Amino acid sequence: MEPIDVVEPVRRLDYEAKVTGRASYLADLRVPGMCHGKILRSPYPHARIRKLDASKALSVPGVVAVLTRDDIVQDQGIDPYYGPVFKDQTIVAVEKVRHVGDPVAAVAALTPPAAEAALDRIEVEYEELPAVTHVSEAIRQGARLVHESVRIPEHGFADLAELKPVEGTNICTHFKLVKGDIERGFAESDHIFEDTFTLPTTQHCALEPHACIASVERDRRITVWSTTQNPFVVRTQLANIFKVPVSKVRIIVPYLGGGYGGKVYPKIEPLTVALARKARRPVKIALSREEVFYTITKHAAVIKMKTGVKKDGTLVARQCEVLLDTGAYAEIGPRVAKKSGYTAAGPYKIPNVKIDSLSVYTNKPPAGAFRGFGVSQSAWAHESQMDIIAAALKMDPLEIRLKNSYEEGSEFVTGETLTSIGLKDCVEKVASAIGWKEKGEHRPDGPLRRGKGIACLIKATITPSISSAVVKLNEDGSVTIYAGTVEMGQGSETVMAQIVAREMGIPLKDIEVLGVDTDVVPYDLTTSSSRSTFHVGRAVQFAAQDLMQQLKRVVAQEYAVPEDQIRFSGGKVQLPEAVIDYREIMFKHFGMQGGTLVGQGQVKTKVVDDRGVKTTSSFWFLGAGAAEVEVDIETGKLKLLKYVTAVDVGNAINPLGCRQQLEGAAITGMGQALFEEVVFDNGQLVNPNFVDYVLPSLGDMPVSIEPILIEIPHLEGPFGAKGIGETALIPVAPAIANAIFDAVGVRIKELPIKAEKIYLALEQAKKKL
Amino acid sequence: MKKGIRFRVNGVDTALEVESHLTLLQVVRERLSLTGAKFGCGIQVCGTCTLLLNGKPVSACSVLAVDADGSDVLTVEGLAKDGQLHPLQEAFMEVGALQCGYCTPGFLLTAKALLDENPHPSEEEIRSYLAGNFCRCGCYQEIVRAIQKVAGE
Amino acid sequence: MKTFDYLEPTTVGEACALLKQGRGEARVFAGGALMTILMKEGLLQPKTLINIKRISALKGIDFHPAQGLAIGALVTHHELETSKTVKEKLPILCAVEKEVANIRVRSMATIGGNLASGEPLTDLPQVFIALDARIRIASSSGERVMALEDLYIDYYQTSLAEDEIITQVIVPPAPERSGIEYIRFSSSSVVDKPCVGVAARISLGVEKACQTVRIVLGCVGPTPVRAKKAEAVVVGKPLDARLAEEAGSVASGECSPVSDLRGSEQYKRAIVGVLVRRALARAYEDASQS
Repeated sequence: MEPIDVVEPVRRLDYEAKVTGRASYLADLRVPGMCHGKILRSPYPHARIRKLDASKALSVPGVVAVLTRDDIVQDQGIDPYYGPVFKDQTIVAVEKVRHVGDPVAAVAALTPPAAEAALDRIEVEYEELPAVTHVSEAIRQGARLVHESVRIPEHGFADLAELKPVEGTNICTHFKLVKGDIERGFAESDHIFEDTFTLPTTQHCALEPHACIASVERDRRITVWSTTQNPFVVRTQLANIFKVPVSKVRIIVPYLGGGYGGKVYPKIEPLTVALARKARRPVKIALSREEVFYTITKHAAVIKMKTGVKKDGTLVARQCEVLLDTGAYAEIGPRVAKKSGYTAAGPYKIPNVKIDSLSVYTNKPPAGAFRGFGVSQSAWAHESQMDIIAAALKMDPLEIRLKNSYEEGSEFVTGETLTSIGLKDCVEKVASAIGWKEKGEHRPDGPLRRGKGIACLIKATITPSISSAVVKLNEDGSVTIYAGTVEMGQGSETVMAQIVAREMGIPLKDIEVLGVDTDVVPYDLTTSSSRSTFHVGRAVQFAAQDLMQQLKRVVAQEYAVPEDQIRFSGGKVQLPEAVIDYREIMFKHFGMQGGTLVGQGQVKTKVVDDRGVKTTSSFWFLGAGAAEVEVDIETGKLKLLKYVTAVDVGNAINPLGCRQQLEGAAITGMGQALFEEVVFDNGQLVNPNFVDYVLPSLGDMPVSIEPILIEIPHLEGPFGAKGIGETALIPVAPAIANAIFDAVGVRIKELPIKAEKIYLALEQAKKKL
Repeated sequence: MKKGIRFRVNGVDTALEVESHLTLLQVVRERLSLTGAKFGCGIQVCGTCTLLLNGKPVSACSVLAVDADGSDVLTVEGLAKDGQLHPLQEAFMEVGALQCGYCTPGFLLTAKALLDENPHPSEEEIRSYLAGNFCRCGCYQEIVRAIQKVAGE
Repeated sequence: MKTFDYLEPTTVGEACALLKQGRGEARVFAGGALMTILMKEGLLQPKTLINIKRISALKGIDFHPAQGLAIGALVTHHELETSKTVKEKLPILCAVEKEVANIRVRSMATIGGNLASGEPLTDLPQVFIALDARIRIASSSGERVMALEDLYIDYYQTSLAEDEIITQVIVPPAPERSGIEYIRFSSSSVVDKPCVGVAARISLGVEKACQTVRIVLGCVGPTPVRAKKAEAVVVGKPLDARLAEEAGSVASGECSPVSDLRGSEQYKRAIVGVLVRRALARAYEDASQS
């Protein structure tokens, strides 16, 4: 594998528009004839809707249309049930509301205040029902059911086909994985450790709230401008709901103001389209910050982990029960639970493994994808427990990891062989950068104690999946890229252009990457799962190569040169007797200033490869993090002094972009570790705002966050690159908890680690002395 | 109640008739089509709607437009002068101080206010002054570096 | 937000007269930091907003050796933070201001508004009370001066009458050999509202004994509160570690925190104990060195 020549600095293609304020985000767009939509939401976590009367809302001046359950149930042109995995969601509530904030009705009006005023005039009579608001309570026998029954779609995702709701319970899905013989494993162990770890509900908090503009034409053609990370999935869902072919649905996505998983799968699009359909004019809905908290969250979790080890620290058996609180609707929770399950035992060679990973319905806002996708939950458990084991065996936490961790060629829990596994490198590099050898040398300073901690992970990417791309050579030699990746801050636009620049030998300034419009760009499954560089980047590379092949044929034909004598170099073609550029070739070929050559590329990953070998993931994410903390033993106040993160990036196409992604993921991980939590009181959200749901700020940053790129080229990635967007987030919380243990000897098993938790643990420890 | 206001926006004298309850953010975005300032939280916490009002950073989501009568308003669209980007804009791009860009106008304007007030801030002063602007993509280290770069020039 | 009449008086007398006319449906508006949020959320729907920002008499910071520091009600947090006079005469205020909310709020919000809001999770009131600050209040019938300590009644409630406006904060000159410390404690991010805020001032008498002691606890009750029993523990004696510890433990019983997102009642009491001890020690050291 030839490493890519990286010419630094590459200035990102989206930057100038963004620093000048010219970049358009969805809320900045207006469509002629557009009116404004607002949503009436449930005040109860669980209730039956006895009566709903919207007649008074229509009399509010400026109101254009009101959408209620009658509109979606009685309309033959609408299937009111949808959802990416199970059809358990409705556009507005039909019989029951299942969480606080569940949409009940919607109003379109000439101005937002008129729409709001009309919401107040909609009369709803609720019959309150008991609510289940915690997973442990939800899985109990006889628990109140969130869904009495769930509709299964005919054509769901291939990787989730075997997962179904367990009837008569709140279990949405139950993923099981067994390797070896767990009981024999425990019997052969010298020590057994059992611990329970928890994580709260959190929220993505992309600074841009979800927004959508929808327009429905008379021929039922639907155009949607949306803040979505996966326009093609939204297109499919809308086509199903509104019973039209996908060719009648067009999704346009401007730059997103952050996604982090919070903008995958349908959110407010079905409701906005239904409202626009009723209003017979375009409707825009822009959510408030509070509404974002009702729309999507990250799964809270309770994880039980039982591990058997030999005296020398060899892991023998591990049993994991992962309960993920998926909220009122399945959303993508079943896949989150599955992915969480695959790697719940951690990045370790363990002969006997038993995993049960459940997504469970509760009367809380739906939980879905969040950067880390189930693995930040399971890693909190396995990486915390690794240090518990190390402490009990008086082993170095670094040593126990290196002793057990996966390496090239290891057998995964599924039996498949792991390749391109730069895990040990990551672990060793972060240990060295944090000064692991000097651990414990810092003297106490008054009430302040210092400590260091480490954590690592393995994670899968979504498999199978499909990406396609088109690269167009214009008559002047410039190039346009058509790909379905949404630019949400990760820098994909620039990376795609870099891949084509490298492949075709032309400068970035001659390359344009088109924005995402499903009528224009070819299919791509999703901008998530850290998959775009690897999959779409590869498709773009194939498209560029296809184009070059065509060019070669054209040159051979036009200049009467055998193909094997044609050499491409620096954007030019070397013939035995001349050097010509793309523009000249195009002119010669088409005989005028005009014409287009089109190259295309496809990437299709499979769960069983061509040799019949099972593949859980088309590539693996590996990484490690190390933290140094200072704890005030009198108050429990923690200060993160330093954080180091290392990720196996395959090969860095845009090193600055890679570093940004690593740092950014680490910072989100800090927030999740230290203070982020959506607090509930009987199903009511206590803090759906930025005063009470606190995000990490510049004032909370450690002196340094050091990103380390481990480059072990992947054979199938474009120029050896792998995906990296989520990896660095995952080890942060356990690395910090392990550092706290190192500093003050207390073990925190519940996130977030607010000062009070450390204080209480210290008080508890004092009492035991 | 409606009220006539006059203010300078990015150096342009502007006269408008506005309802007393409209915020400066609504007026700038909807009436003047300057959409660089974004809605983020609505309660003065996140900083995405930052504008400079008489040189001082404010949360435009919580400033009454009538209260801006007679003021000088600078939005991100007014940072570049005569086709030349502001040094902060250049530095943000060069250092990589942004990803999704939604918070960027707010950070740029806040950084400008800081440097106008204190041309050579320490790293600690930069961190403290900008602690009230959120960047969820997490470009904080690069933002500090970009400001230091401009301050050092 | 509902619409309202918007008025801009240019004198205090005019503003007070308008307030009186408003009969409870008119509101004073200055920086607007809290007011706009309350109005946007529909928690406050005044018929008339009286913007006092055009009243120049309410602006500016003055120092007189005899009367002390006089801070106009319209002075913003950021003006206080960066004032040369304040930095020279009472640097503690500049230091405290650096941590108040964020730069945008500090640029808009005024000292008068902050004190009059009765907002419990804030910093300045504790510090001003520790400094024995008084406030000057104007009304349609005249003027009065009161100790800031007496302003607060309950959460968001003050003893200001409908037609009264705070016009000035007066901080009397501290006795010689005085030291003051404020500790703002956040239980999560540094930008979170404070969980507890403790101000301590000590003025020394003979033999390094503490002559005047002020311990003011913020965020741990409906109003900022002076821990008078804890003050009494220290008064008349030179401060040592044991005494500071005792004062802390007494103070933790003198507040009435409630459990909320920023900590349990029990935790906040424990933090009060630690912060009082630390603040006293630093204030004492500061006083001893001056």
